[in-house]
Amino acid sequence: MATMEMDDPKMGEKVHWEPENLMKGLTLKQILFSNDYRHIALKGILTSFIMLALGGTFAIIFRTELAIPDVQFIGARVYMTLMSLHGMVMVFGFLIPLTVAVNYYILPKILGNDRLLWSGAAQASYWTLILAAVLLVIGRPDFTWTAYAPMSLRTGNDFIWMGYVAIILVAISEFLAGAVLFRNAISSRGGLKNTPLIAWAGGTIGLLFMVSVFPLGFVGYGLLSDWAQWTDIAWFDPSRGGSVQFFLYVFWTYGHPAVYLPFVPAIAIIYTLMPRFLGHPMWSYWSGVAAFILLSIGALPIGPHHFQPLYSVSGDYQRFIQILTMLVFIPSVLHVFNWISTLFMAPIPDSARRAIPFKFMVFSIAFIVYGGATAWLNAQIAPDSDFIHNTYWIPAHFHAMFFGFSGQMAFAGVYFLFPYFTGRMYNQTLGNWHFWLWQIGLFIKITGMGVAGYLYFPRWVYDYLSMPGWAESQMFITIGGYMVALGFLFFLINLFWSASKGKVVTGDPWPVVHDLKAAPAAQPAE
Amino acid sequence: MENALGIWGPQALMMAITASFTVLGMVMLLAAMLMKRRWKPTYSVEFVFVGIMLVLAWVGDSTSTKTYTAYQANLNAEERMVSGNYEGEGEAAFDRVFTVIAFQWGFGFINEEDEISRNALVVKPGETVLLKVLSNDVIHGFNVPVAQITAEIDPDDKRELWIRVPDEPGKYLIQCVNYCGVGHTQMKAWLVVDAGEEVNDGENS
Repeated sequence: MATMEMDDPKMGEKVHWEPENLMKGLTLKQILFSNDYRHIALKGILTSFIMLALGGTFAIIFRTELAIPDVQFIGARVYMTLMSLHGMVMVFGFLIPLTVAVNYYILPKILGNDRLLWSGAAQASYWTLILAAVLLVIGRPDFTWTAYAPMSLRTGNDFIWMGYVAIILVAISEFLAGAVLFRNAISSRGGLKNTPLIAWAGGTIGLLFMVSVFPLGFVGYGLLSDWAQWTDIAWFDPSRGGSVQFFLYVFWTYGHPAVYLPFVPAIAIIYTLMPRFLGHPMWSYWSGVAAFILLSIGALPIGPHHFQPLYSVSGDYQRFIQILTMLVFIPSVLHVFNWISTLFMAPIPDSARRAIPFKFMVFSIAFIVYGGATAWLNAQIAPDSDFIHNTYWIPAHFHAMFFGFSGQMAFAGVYFLFPYFTGRMYNQTLGNWHFWLWQIGLFIKITGMGVAGYLYFPRWVYDYLSMPGWAESQMFITIGGYMVALGFLFFLINLFWSASKGKVVTGDPWPVVHDLKAAPAAQPAE
Repeated sequence: MENALGIWGPQALMMAITASFTVLGMVMLLAAMLMKRRWKPTYSVEFVFVGIMLVLAWVGDSTSTKTYTAYQANLNAEERMVSGNYEGEGEAAFDRVFTVIAFQWGFGFINEEDEISRNALVVKPGETVLLKVLSNDVIHGFNVPVAQITAEIDPDDKRELWIRVPDEPGKYLIQCVNYCGVGHTQMKAWLVVDAGEEVNDGENS
């Protein structure tokens, strides 16, 4: 009783374009200011790697500190600065820009525009973000990425205003990025029925970007204004008549949609890569469209689940948030159902099983299941008021979603685009090392965090007591973190080596070959 | 919270459902990757799946609400809410009442005779204790792992929580779980369960 809509052709499978060597003859001026979408995407991707290296280095430093109890080599202020910068750099500097940059490249190809509409805005978005990152590194805020007032107003750091300004700049940068995604998505021709899924993703998440960053910008402005005491009006500082409640609601009106800002572009990459590697369309087009729309609608009102055990979120309102959060689970389940069905419906070609991007894609789906299933539990106020709220359980959940899924999916996109940027293929062996180190390392890290959270290990501490299981789980997480860092080193070596020495690719770098043994000649280049 | 971690406690059930759901997803993914047999699900399979999700949302909501309401009912039989300006007769139901000041960085516990103890909540085994937690500076967290309860305390207001003290004498951790400044790590206190005579009995006993 399979219905006909299931075989709708417009699902991204017709992505075929020629590999090229962008690096050759690339001038500094081009990489800095060119509005060519390929250059913008390349710049965004490479910058994200620098951010990942930066945020990862911070993580390795404090992971080493946390591996065993007692203070080893860093104290509270250094730890919290590294921790805050780790969060901000990873989310705003690495994850969101990387997933968006991969979309900047794929959207013009799939939509057939061969140029990024409003590319000037994409350029401005990039430079605004760079400025924000510079301010963050100079200002060294230690108020965590959530910047909870009034704590964030009383850090005793004279340069803390740079942190507030950086928040405003991030809001501007994300608004511009959202506008670019939205503009390109609506340029799709042939009506809604023939719009590729990546454009549905870009359209819905672009809108969500543009709507949700206003509260973020206001948070930055409000903190700056409260700190500088420009006027008699205090927005968030209760000692001057401001409201902490107001802060929480404003912040999380951005903060919850913010988790979808890397999430949906990563989903868009799956909908493009999967048909390409399998050689057949997605299982369902409309299921994907429905999920994109439902996710965007559901994202805005549920922010309060982030501060649920607080008196203002109580009674019927608390219950409404609880139910709605569990319902927002559904669109993500629709996506996962769609992906697994697509993998299940036809034989998986040997060429796909072998391809590093495909492997990353399959395991990122495993991580979305691993991290996503707990979302249903986290939404419930009873367990949330027990061991979930602000224990390591929460980092376990979002590292699975942010890194295990979105980050790894972005890397699948990068491996996939590698021949299109360099004209060469990556090294398979190094790619495999990277792949397995990340899967095992991430699994160890996330599981360790979940166990620590279940044992009430609190977030944001640089030192801890020897409670049962605490030291063991921290050591576990640190080992996982080291493996992830090692995997990234393999990736960097691969990147530099293969860009100049890798096997040259001509024609389609990703041919669909069902039986590699029978047709060795068609084996994809290494 | 008293949402028991026993095998059949509501929280254990929720954990089990979450784990089953994870396993189901993993098994389907593995089957899709490794099985020889191919299967193209129909839309009706997806609808059944969405139906299960709706049922799960209902189960989660009703279980959680039941557990939490039971906790709240114990706290305040009349108003049935955890928070707000709690006063009156309900207090008599508790063996001991403390006002807790969460500050940067530590906890002060004030008993009914206005005696303050810093970072030590001294109680007797098995007692029920009402805690009125307030903060004067920034947002703090208040977590008593052994009592399985967490709350976030806002400088604008106070919150009431209650705990049942374990029967086993000893020291149990009380900690802040919300980042509240550089001293956050040190913001810990002890729930001291003391069976001896030196505990100053409140007027309730």
